[in-house]
Amino acid sequence: MTIPPDNQGQPENARGATRDLASRIASAKREREREDNRSLRDASPEMTGLARGLRIGTEFIAAVLVGAGIGYLIDLGLGTSPWGLLILLLMGFAAGILNVIRVVAEMNAASPAPPGSDLGPDAEDEERDENR
Amino acid sequence: MAGTDPIHQFVIYDIAELFTLGGDGTEGSGITFSFTNSALFMVLTVATIVVFLLAATAGRKLVPGRAQLTAELLYEFVAGMVRSSAGTAGMKFFPLVFSLFTFIFVANMFGMVPYFFTVTSHIIVTFALSMLVFLTVILYGFIKNGPKFLKLFVPAGVPGYILPIVTPIEVISFLSRPISLSVRLFGNILAGHITLKVFTGFAVMMIAGLGAIGWVASILPILMAIALTGLEFLVGSVQAYVFAVLTCMYLNDAIHPSH
Repeated sequence: MTIPPDNQGQPENARGATRDLASRIASAKREREREDNRSLRDASPEMTGLARGLRIGTEFIAAVLVGAGIGYLIDLGLGTSPWGLLILLLMGFAAGILNVIRVVAEMNAASPAPPGSDLGPDAEDEERDENR
Repeated sequence: MAGTDPIHQFVIYDIAELFTLGGDGTEGSGITFSFTNSALFMVLTVATIVVFLLAATAGRKLVPGRAQLTAELLYEFVAGMVRSSAGTAGMKFFPLVFSLFTFIFVANMFGMVPYFFTVTSHIIVTFALSMLVFLTVILYGFIKNGPKFLKLFVPAGVPGYILPIVTPIEVISFLSRPISLSVRLFGNILAGHITLKVFTGFAVMMIAGLGAIGWVASILPILMAIALTGLEFLVGSVQAYVFAVLTCMYLNDAIHPSH
């Protein structure tokens, strides 16, 4: 954070001095907020590629295991073997994909693409192409 | 060779027997409760945190000293994490998140000291911690929102005829949270400690088996072990952080159940 030089924009009367001070406080606050946001982003949980990979992996596997477990218990209780296990295993698979999509969406939100990078055509571009 | 057995470090043994539940009084019947090495290190972890925080905040100066500054940084770190993930309404869960974070962090750091037992390398410990979070979310969610909490399983804007398929998937996804939370922490710590022990074990075996050549060749696994030690410190702190952040996000679901 840079300290603004004192001799800059020296006001003639006291009211001017207060106004000047208020704007300086506001700008300092803005700067501090930006700094805080930056440090929050830097300390995101996905610090290493290894941690990121393990996080996605466990999210996926856990859902499959839970699905299979519930299916097994249903079979045990109702005697519908093997249908509960089969169906719930596939449901668990779907839930795992859902977990992975959520984690990746959250990671993408945590680290947005740098401005100016090519993100491919968006909806407006498609529309323009159709109208041509 | 017990010296280089990579699993040996996770053995739990009794330090003092406390009492026996049930059984007919003969040897080996009933459930015996004991004070184990795992329990000892849990007590040590909690004692370290409490003593440090009490000592650091005893002075309460306006201009903090080093210890007080560390305690304040720790508070600010966890408070910022709770506010950003669960909002200001989540601050009532600050004690829970702070306790979980400091307990896992200090337990992981204790685990890095040679001959110390790593509490978080047993899945029952991490599973108990994650079930604590999971049950808190369910209980608080139902107490605060009533049946509206079930909206968590019904994503907004989904047509009615897809709901019978989507809702079970959401339920499984929700139930998988404590599993993934506990397996992640336990897996990272277990795998890291085994790898570290295997590499240092290589050095011991080389020196024992090859003599003078072994002394020279053992430089390589020792270098690897040094690098892994650094990595383990990182993994230990990152996993404590990830556990706390995910706790905040799950609590956020309990506070604001609409997706």
